[in-house]
Amino acid sequence: MKNDYKLLFIKSGKFFVTLLLVDLIFGFAARQVYFSQKTGKQARITHTIANASSEIFIFGSSHANRHYIPKIFEEELELTTHNAGVQGQGIIFHNALQKIVLKRIKPKLIILNIDYNWLYEREDAYERLSDFNPYYWQHREIIKPVISIKSKFSDVKLLLKAYQNNSTIVHAIRYFFSPQKDYNGYLPLSGSMENPKKIITHLHQQEQLLDKNFINAFSSFIQSAKRNDIDLLLVLSPLANNENITNTNSMKKMKEIATEEKIPLINLNGSSHFKKKYYLFNDASHLNDKGATLFSKIITDYIKKE
Amino acid sequence: MLFNSIDFAIFLPIVFGLYWAIAKKKIIFQNILLLVASYIFYGWWDSRFLSLILFSSLVDFYIGKSLLTTRNIKKRKILLFISIIVNLGFLGFFKYYNFFVDSFSNAFTIFGSSITGRGLDIILPVGISFYTFQTLSYTIDVYKRKLQPTTNIIGFFAFVSFFPQLVAGPIERASNLLPQFFTKRKFSYVNVSMGVKLMIWGFFLKIVVADRAAIYVNAIYNNIENHEGLSFIAATIMFAFQIYGDFAGYSLIAIGTAKLFGFNLMTNFKRPYFSSSVSEFWTRWHISLSTWFRDYLYIPLGGNRVGKLRWLFNLFITFLISGLWHGANWTFVVWGALNGIYLIIEVLFFSKKSKNFFNIILTFVLINFAWIFFRANTISDALYIINIMTTKLGTLYIGVGPDKTAPIYSLLAISFLFLVELKREFFDATFSISRNRNEYLRMFGYAILIFCILYLGVFGDGQFIYFQF
Repeated sequence: MKNDYKLLFIKSGKFFVTLLLVDLIFGFAARQVYFSQKTGKQARITHTIANASSEIFIFGSSHANRHYIPKIFEEELELTTHNAGVQGQGIIFHNALQKIVLKRIKPKLIILNIDYNWLYEREDAYERLSDFNPYYWQHREIIKPVISIKSKFSDVKLLLKAYQNNSTIVHAIRYFFSPQKDYNGYLPLSGSMENPKKIITHLHQQEQLLDKNFINAFSSFIQSAKRNDIDLLLVLSPLANNENITNTNSMKKMKEIATEEKIPLINLNGSSHFKKKYYLFNDASHLNDKGATLFSKIITDYIKKE
Repeated sequence: MLFNSIDFAIFLPIVFGLYWAIAKKKIIFQNILLLVASYIFYGWWDSRFLSLILFSSLVDFYIGKSLLTTRNIKKRKILLFISIIVNLGFLGFFKYYNFFVDSFSNAFTIFGSSITGRGLDIILPVGISFYTFQTLSYTIDVYKRKLQPTTNIIGFFAFVSFFPQLVAGPIERASNLLPQFFTKRKFSYVNVSMGVKLMIWGFFLKIVVADRAAIYVNAIYNNIENHEGLSFIAATIMFAFQIYGDFAGYSLIAIGTAKLFGFNLMTNFKRPYFSSSVSEFWTRWHISLSTWFRDYLYIPLGGNRVGKLRWLFNLFITFLISGLWHGANWTFVVWGALNGIYLIIEVLFFSKKSKNFFNIILTFVLINFAWIFFRANTISDALYIINIMTTKLGTLYIGVGPDKTAPIYSLLAISFLFLVELKREFFDATFSISRNRNEYLRMFGYAILIFCILYLGVFGDGQFIYFQF
């Protein structure tokens, strides 16, 4: 029995070393694959974190990606613009992303395209924070507190390169073979809802509970901009239907915070520019290129006026 | 506590270390440690329901002891009856009360009258279906004098609540597991190594195969009105691997964990999708449950040693109840009934099925057809899915946004699983990494597997499907 303990100790040691070597070699390869991406969501996040240096930064989910055309901002305002939108991400992600960017540069203006449901409790908003895993050790002081809200022992788990690059390979391969063209972060959509048969409504979410962490993240986003003397503009994008989403609990809270902090909010929900103009929409909540052009002009006009 | 959680990753080494540190002392200390660990493991989810396990263990322990000394047949029957009523009473109340109330109310609606049953806000205690069947097997075996009852209360309680298999099986027979609590366990490197290997493969099945497949399956089955036939076919096949990966994965982790403590649990899955008949499938799928139903329901009903009509009835009723065991929903009842019908057809028309490619595919298709009912949220959903599958193939949904890569990961994982199982089923004597004589090759193989789990797995503390049963 003593020999068995000894054997377990020795073999465990050997296996542990083998595992570390495998993780080091294959993990290095996985990391190389990840950071060599030229297009796609992950490449855009890397660019935003490591390289983008514009005077205007736009944050937000897919609505940011699809609605803001940096070229129009640059022409109209004569300020370099970067669309840092990340599809599927909520305020907790964008708050951390903004702080990582602010470590490196101080833009003149930040636009945050808010989603009306950002403050509702949503487990997937936490799960999707794994998009930060490959950047964990470079920006640990910002990423750790965010990831640690739901995931324990992030320092230990993220020691392994395999875990750092979890679920990234298929994305990398996909965009290697089929590159996703973006225009400084803008991802145009070409479809149109000329004759919509059915439009998804959202108001059933009105009674959902608000998540304290999301509320804090929203406030923190505003505070960071203020602390760094950066102008901040909040925008609510339009929906294809006439649904009024400005009075949902989540929106009410965001409006309340924005008012307290004296941050301007452009509300294009129900705006006559987009109301029932289905030819400007690709789907129920995303504008097509034509719609995005009009949208970007409306925003730049507002900024010029202000 | 979930096997695929950080909590368990901390809990297990602590219990393992303490357990073998006291190995030189009397065996009762190890049993006490296992009992405490098992209650912590279970209580981590909801400590209130520990009282159920405690009560159930207490009742069966004393009934077992009484059966040892009682010779009067009538009294013995009463004792057995009490055990059955207590165990099935808990199960019936927590799992089926609302189901029966709702079904009863609905039945009245069909006949034109209305009756409103009062449903209760009941939480289903995790694993109740599993430990209830395990303790029942003890009293029934003792009653039938197939098993000598134990007088060691700690050993018995540890047997009922043994944490590796407490919440989702394998459902152990007292005759296999109970004596192991009274035999001196010797630390063995081979056992530990084997246990860890089984656990690693189990985690791969759960985290990489099942949880990946679940993303696509849920996207389709939870939004059926937005999908067409091809997507339903793809989702159903993926569900077949999801539930296999989920449950076989859990069983392997359970068997592996038990091995770390010197216990041997029964094999629960033997590559079921290579079965060439439905009857063979049921000798390879959830073996601990199907043999339980065989021994404690099918055979007592007469099994196949009765007239043909009665035999077929026995088969059907066994599967119908097995379906109900899986959940308080008519979808499970239909799933059980379908399997019963498959077996009846096999008995009547295909009693000798040879092992060939066609029969394997046919069996896989039949099993998948039944899985539609198992996975669908309601019977009408299942019927809708079958209707669309057969009338409108349409286009294949491949996901949107972050879910778009899920089917590709899933396909990769399922293909790898398929190749491994194919090799084990038909070419087992050929080259093997897990049994290779070269120690470094073995280690490298398992290190790669762990890398794959961390690199390709889904990490969101995903629940095991069978927890809900």
